[in-house]
Amino acid sequence: MIDGNRVIDFHGHSGRMDSFGMVDKPELMLQAMDKAGIDIACLFHIFQPDGTTSNDTNARFIAQHPDRFVGFAYVSPTMPQRMLPELARAIDMLHFVAIKLYPPYTPWPFNQAEWFPIYEFANQRGLAIIFHTDSYPTNRPRFLADIAPLYPRANFVAGHSGNTQEARAEAIAAAQAYPNVYLETCSTYRTPGVIEQLVNEAGADRVLFGSDIPLMDPRPQLGKIITADISDEAKRLILGGNASRLLGI
Amino acid sequence: MTSLHFSPRVPVFDANVRVGDRRDEPSPCRNREQLLAEMDRHGVARALIYHAQTESVSPVEGNGYLAEWLGEDGRLYPQYSIMPTPDSMTQIEGLQAQGRVQSLRLYDTSPAGLPFRPWAFDELLGWLSQARIPLWISLPEATLAELMETLPGHPHLVTVLVGAHYSHFLWTRPLLRALPNTYLELSRYEPIGEVEALRDEFGAERLLYGSWFSRYAMGPMLFYLHHTSLTDHELALVCAGNLDRIMQGEGRLD
Repeated sequence: MIDGNRVIDFHGHSGRMDSFGMVDKPELMLQAMDKAGIDIACLFHIFQPDGTTSNDTNARFIAQHPDRFVGFAYVSPTMPQRMLPELARAIDMLHFVAIKLYPPYTPWPFNQAEWFPIYEFANQRGLAIIFHTDSYPTNRPRFLADIAPLYPRANFVAGHSGNTQEARAEAIAAAQAYPNVYLETCSTYRTPGVIEQLVNEAGADRVLFGSDIPLMDPRPQLGKIITADISDEAKRLILGGNASRLLGI
Repeated sequence: MTSLHFSPRVPVFDANVRVGDRRDEPSPCRNREQLLAEMDRHGVARALIYHAQTESVSPVEGNGYLAEWLGEDGRLYPQYSIMPTPDSMTQIEGLQAQGRVQSLRLYDTSPAGLPFRPWAFDELLGWLSQARIPLWISLPEATLAELMETLPGHPHLVTVLVGAHYSHFLWTRPLLRALPNTYLELSRYEPIGEVEALRDEFGAERLLYGSWFSRYAMGPMLFYLHHTSLTDHELALVCAGNLDRIMQGEGRLD
């Protein structure tokens, strides 16, 4: 809690990338979260294209601390026949609350038809989908403006808010155009003024705090929000208010 | 205890601030007054500054632009950049003779084909070592093999490795072990729990707070350091004490 406000980290992982120091040790993650006042981290495992292996791995990790971790489902259109059954299983049986998609692990820009069954599923269930977005061809945030109006009951989140200046502008434009587009804040680029830009141009009610835990320590990513030149009310929305509303938790 | 508002509880001396415009990137702070206002907003008392032109264009010309930022209030300290050319060496030796050099920053010559190898840099590094001038080296432009080939030949030279990223995770421990006079600046170092882990393994005296503003925002890493298990004494070392000591010419092998 931060000043009485529950803090939800919208972008986190289970799994390991040892070369980068990404280790999903619960005690390490909880220590960092506790030091900063982060109550809940939303986690996904994205390394197994069948979805099932990733989601089961994620579920086992979350089960160690179900009061602190929340699961997002992962599927990949590289195994299209598995997408919908696995999504239904992850949401209904594993009780995951949203979907994570990672276009860099596929050859398809995420506004192409290979992805549409996932969006239809999310639309029927009223779920949020967070995408990795950046300036690479498969990951452009401008694709959000193509899909958001077609699936109005789903919510679409630009992970990293596009990361770079040009892609960030696309993410903001999509959020301005469609009420079901959100912007998530974690980025290894900590460019000055980005949080202020997201709030001023898209609105504080459309921005979600994320950290990329445990690839990155959540504390400097939280520091981006706390030290930004924005109002206290904007900070409350970004740190947890918006995520609570979006995820129903 | 985290709050919606943050201010540091120890004096802060930022070890890595870039001023002025890169040729491809205007700075958000247009002048000294705006930079001081940004520092005040984050509770940063002092900063070590270098000019953006020294990294994107010319260290010799860029060094000349620093003067207008310095002022006389003791808040901004110059960090000049250097490369192994006669013009650059002559400029720095002149500044050194005037007592104006307390640290230097290595200009990246690798895009022009000059690697950081002993046959190219030993003369420069030997002079810095003899003059007790610490050298800042940007890790994003460095290679591990070159650092490990060249720096061990100058064990008394104090170096500060700047801008380590999670992609440098496998480098940091071998470097800090092999180079006892090397410090790690933390502006971009975000692997989970690593500030505490490096403190436990190498001691807080090997770590420096730097923001690398205006490349990165000034506040987040400072906030991070204040929400670790570092004691207030360790925090004070990382946020200012270590840099003060380095700039006075003290090395860990003295």
